Amino acid sequence: MLRLLQICSPSLPIGAYAYSQGMEWTTHAGWLKNEAETCDWILGLMRHSLGGLDVPILARLYRGWKENDIGRVKYWTEFLHASRESAELQAEDNHMGVAMAKVLGELGISQANDWKTEPVVTFATMFALAAVHWEIPIYETCVGYLWSWTENQIAAAIKLVPLGQTAGQRILSQAIKTIPEVVESGLSLQDEHIGFLAPAFAIASALHETQHTRLFRS
Amino acid sequence: MTTLKIKQGWEAQLSLLFDLSGAKTILRNKQHKGPLLVQRPFYPEGDNTCHVYIIHPPGGVVGGDILNIDIKTGSGTHALITTPAAGKFYRSSGAFARQDQVIKISSNAILEWLPQETIIYNGAKSKISTRVELDEGAHFLGWEITCLGLPISSQKFTDGVLRQHFEVWQQGKPVLVERGCFEGQSQAVISRWGLANYTVVGTLVCTCDNPAVVENIRLALMEQVKEDLFSVTVINGLVVCRYLGHEAYRARFFFAKTWGMLRNKVFSRPACHPRIWNT
Repeated sequence: MLRLLQICSPSLPIGAYAYSQGMEWTTHAGWLKNEAETCDWILGLMRHSLGGLDVPILARLYRGWKENDIGRVKYWTEFLHASRESAELQAEDNHMGVAMAKVLGELGISQANDWKTEPVVTFATMFALAAVHWEIPIYETCVGYLWSWTENQIAAAIKLVPLGQTAGQRILSQAIKTIPEVVESGLSLQDEHIGFLAPAFAIASALHETQHTRLFRS
Repeated sequence: MTTLKIKQGWEAQLSLLFDLSGAKTILRNKQHKGPLLVQRPFYPEGDNTCHVYIIHPPGGVVGGDILNIDIKTGSGTHALITTPAAGKFYRSSGAFARQDQVIKISSNAILEWLPQETIIYNGAKSKISTRVELDEGAHFLGWEITCLGLPISSQKFTDGVLRQHFEVWQQGKPVLVERGCFEGQSQAVISRWGLANYTVVGTLVCTCDNPAVVENIRLALMEQVKEDLFSVTVINGLVVCRYLGHEAYRARFFFAKTWGMLRNKVFSRPACHPRIWNT
C-alpha cells in the first residue's frame, strides 16, 4: 500500500506537476470556464483515453514484466508511445519514464537501469515494473495510475481555470466513483480495441506547443 | 467483371503493385474481385510519376459490405492515388460495413494517398482501417477526411458508429497509432475533448520531421483558421496535421495547402492537383 502511494505521487519523484496535457491551451482558448466543464474534460479523458489506451497497455506491460518477457514490454511501450497524440505528449511521457527509471534504479530495481537510456520509454513502462517488483496487484496498480493522473490534472485545473480547492475536491470525488469501472472495462479490452482518439484534445495539445506564455511543459 | 454477392453484402477486393520500368513508375499488376477498380494510370506531371484513381462503382457501402484495398510499391517508385468522389457509408440495419486498406511502401519509394472525404451517414455502422507499412527510407504522404452525417441537409450523426483505425508502422514497429471510435451521441462525439460536436475530422501525415517545414505550415495556415481547428505536430518523424470543422471543403483546403508545401520541400516538386478534384 505505501509502495503504491510512493509511485503515485505527482510531485515526487518524477515531476508530473509540470505537465497540464494541453489544459493550459484549452483554458486559454476558453474551453474550460467552470467546474462542470473541467469535470467533463478530466473525467471524460480519464474514462475514454486512459481507460481505452493506458489501462489495457499498463496491464500488458505488467504481465510482460511479471513473465520477464522484455520483447512484450518493448512492444507495448512502443505502441503506447506511437499512440500519444503530439510531440509534447510524447516528450512528457518519455521524460517521466526516464525520471521514474532513475528513481527505481536507485531504489534497487536493477531492470530499471537499462531503460534510462532507451530511446523510447513511457511512464507506464516503469510504473508497471515498480508494481510487479513490489507485488502490487494489477487492479490496484491501475487504480493508482488513474488516481495519479487525475489528481495531477485537477491540480493543474485549480491553477489554470482557476478553480477553488473545494471544487477540485468535488471533481476528485466524482473520479473516485468512476475509477473502478474504468479499470474494469480497460482490463477487459482485447488487443484490436486498444487505443483511443480524442481529436480536440489532440489538437489542443499540439497547439500548446507554440502557445506564447506557458507555465506548463505540456 | 466478376462480382461476388455474398450473404450479407458485397465483397470487393483490389490489389495494386507499382514498380519501375526504367525510370518510370508503372502499375505492374492489378487484381480485383467485385466492385472496386482502377482506371488506366496516367502521367499528368509529364514525368515518371504515376497517378491512379480508385473507383467504387456502387458509389456507396452498406452494412455487410467488405472492401479490401491492398497496395504495394516497389523501390524507387512514385505513385499518387486518389478517388473521383467521396466515399459513402449508408445506414445499416445491423451488420457493420468494413473497409480495410493496407499500403506497403518500399525503400526510396514515394506514395501519396489522397482520397476524397468519406461520408458516414446517420445510422451507418462502419469500420475503416488504414495500415501503412514503411520500409526504411520509404516516403508517405496521406490523409483521411471523414464527415459524420450531413449537417447541411440536417441529417446529423445521432445514431450509428464509426471505428476508424489509421496506423503507420515501420519494419514491424508502430510509428503512429490512431484508433477513433465515434458513436452517435456518445461522449467522444459531443464532448469538448472529443469531436466537440464538429462533424468533419481529418488527419494528414507525412514522413518528414524538418522543423522549418513544420514552422512554414503553421505560419501559412494558422491565420486561415476560422470557426474550425487545425494543428501541426511531429510524432516519431512524421508531420501530423489534424483538422476539426463543419465543412469537408475546408478540411480539403487545409490539407491540400499542407500537401503542396510538403510536396515542394520533401519530394522537391510542386503540387499537381488531380483534375478529378475539380469535377
